[in-house]
Amino acid sequence: MHKLYLYSVWVRVWHWTNALLFLILIFTGLSMHFAGGALLLPFQTAVPVHNAAGIALTISWIAFIVGNLVSDNKRFYRIPLHGLIGAVVSQARWYMIGIFRREPHPFHPSADDKMNMLQKLTYLGVMLGLMPVLVISGWAFLFSVYLPETLFGLGSVWLVAMIHLAVAWMLVLFLITHLYMITTGDTPTSNIRSMLTGWHRETDASAPTASETQS
Amino acid sequence: MFIIAMLYRSSRVRPQPEPGWPWRPSLGLLLVLLLPVQTPAGADQASDNCQRCHGMATLGYRDPLTRKIIDLHIDAAAFAASDHGEMACVDCHDRDYRSYPHSLTLADEHLDCVGCHRDDPEPRGSEFKRIDEEFLRSVHAQPAPADDRASKLPLDCHDCHNPHSFRAARPGDDIAAIVSNNNAVCLSCHLDIADPLSEPHAWLPNRDRHWQAVRCIDCHAPATDHRSHDVLAAEDGNRDCVNCHSRDATLLNQLYSYRSQTDLAEQGFVAKAVYNEAYIVGMSRSPTIDAIGLGVIALMLLGIAAHAYGRYRVYRKGGDDHA
Repeated sequence: MHKLYLYSVWVRVWHWTNALLFLILIFTGLSMHFAGGALLLPFQTAVPVHNAAGIALTISWIAFIVGNLVSDNKRFYRIPLHGLIGAVVSQARWYMIGIFRREPHPFHPSADDKMNMLQKLTYLGVMLGLMPVLVISGWAFLFSVYLPETLFGLGSVWLVAMIHLAVAWMLVLFLITHLYMITTGDTPTSNIRSMLTGWHRETDASAPTASETQS
Repeated sequence: MFIIAMLYRSSRVRPQPEPGWPWRPSLGLLLVLLLPVQTPAGADQASDNCQRCHGMATLGYRDPLTRKIIDLHIDAAAFAASDHGEMACVDCHDRDYRSYPHSLTLADEHLDCVGCHRDDPEPRGSEFKRIDEEFLRSVHAQPAPADDRASKLPLDCHDCHNPHSFRAARPGDDIAAIVSNNNAVCLSCHLDIADPLSEPHAWLPNRDRHWQAVRCIDCHAPATDHRSHDVLAAEDGNRDCVNCHSRDATLLNQLYSYRSQTDLAEQGFVAKAVYNEAYIVGMSRSPTIDAIGLGVIALMLLGIAAHAYGRYRVYRKGGDDHA
């Protein structure tokens, strides 16, 4: 059993807070978007809940950025250009082919590198790409009075709405994919356990010899 | 006594007409008192003198032509709260009203909103000129049909905007009250529309909800970046849901920005972010983006199901849970 402490308390608290906010925002967002639909919240309830959760998500996002800047957690998001494509191809191949051939994981977490290259690129894309656009477009909705009437020849509110909508769909897609991908760890539940306990456990024969390391 | 002005604070601040202005200005001028003193203190005194008679709720007369009772009462409280409340009666009604009863020749003062406000500092002066142009195009400015003897057409400003009680809507005013006051003006003439069984709006989904949330003119005037006074004929009103609820953003911008501005002034920055009335049902609806989003997610779920099934097969075959 190889065991590594990879998820510090603040990372886990942030992660589960973010996850809860995601679920609330998706449900209330759907309730607003498809108002009146079955199993959805009443529109008048969904709006303030969505707005409040959106504010909380903004704070959560800022906390993630600041937390990484002031802690050494940012080391996990370094992307070395050397070997980047090889790592991506190798990881993608394993998800598509190797996993069905019972090949060992091509990536093994260490104290300085807990995510494979596809995870890093995805999480960076979500946290530094999609999330800021989602948050800014959400605030722009609420304070559209400060926007110009048109942006690029289109009504600014409509443009903001479409950006918010498109990014929201992408993040729903991310969440679904994320929920499935976490089952591809050492066992189907090992990754989610890691995010609950902070400890990454691995029994892969190719992993380093059993040790206990706290980072 | 007549103080004529129609306020239109800006393109984002819509006027809030007063309901129930039952008399035309030309008829209303007959008995208005006036003292000739023009100083501010004297003007106040003159207004007090006007109100000695016009403050009486029962003051009126029967129009010799139409035989209708003309209400000459000016509600002092409503006037004081109006946008013209700081003005003295004589600021607008500057003819010789010293004699009583007032002469019939005084009646036609030709007062109108644009006449007073066209020279306002910019941009308001230009706004009133634009309003004048729009109104002249509107169905309300056209002559009455020859066969419609009951028609009040053509209207003028004061048929909708009572100068003695008019108060332009301001950010912070209750949106439901703004909508209600606006629509009450229309319904004061268009009585048949208020009938629950009326035909013209039978097509409109959630008709009563719409009437509580949007003004008649939001659909019955062209969608522009300001509130147009070009009131359209009934058959030309907007019947296309997406004009407000999604794609064509002009009307959406108009409604949304105004509501946003109103919420902001009413509730402050933080509270506005949580509680607001600005979001319009379906305003983010885009069939294309929704179809792409749902389609990609459906494909992804199919892919995940196939992947998971493949892993399950491998697991069953291999007897461990590695996959």
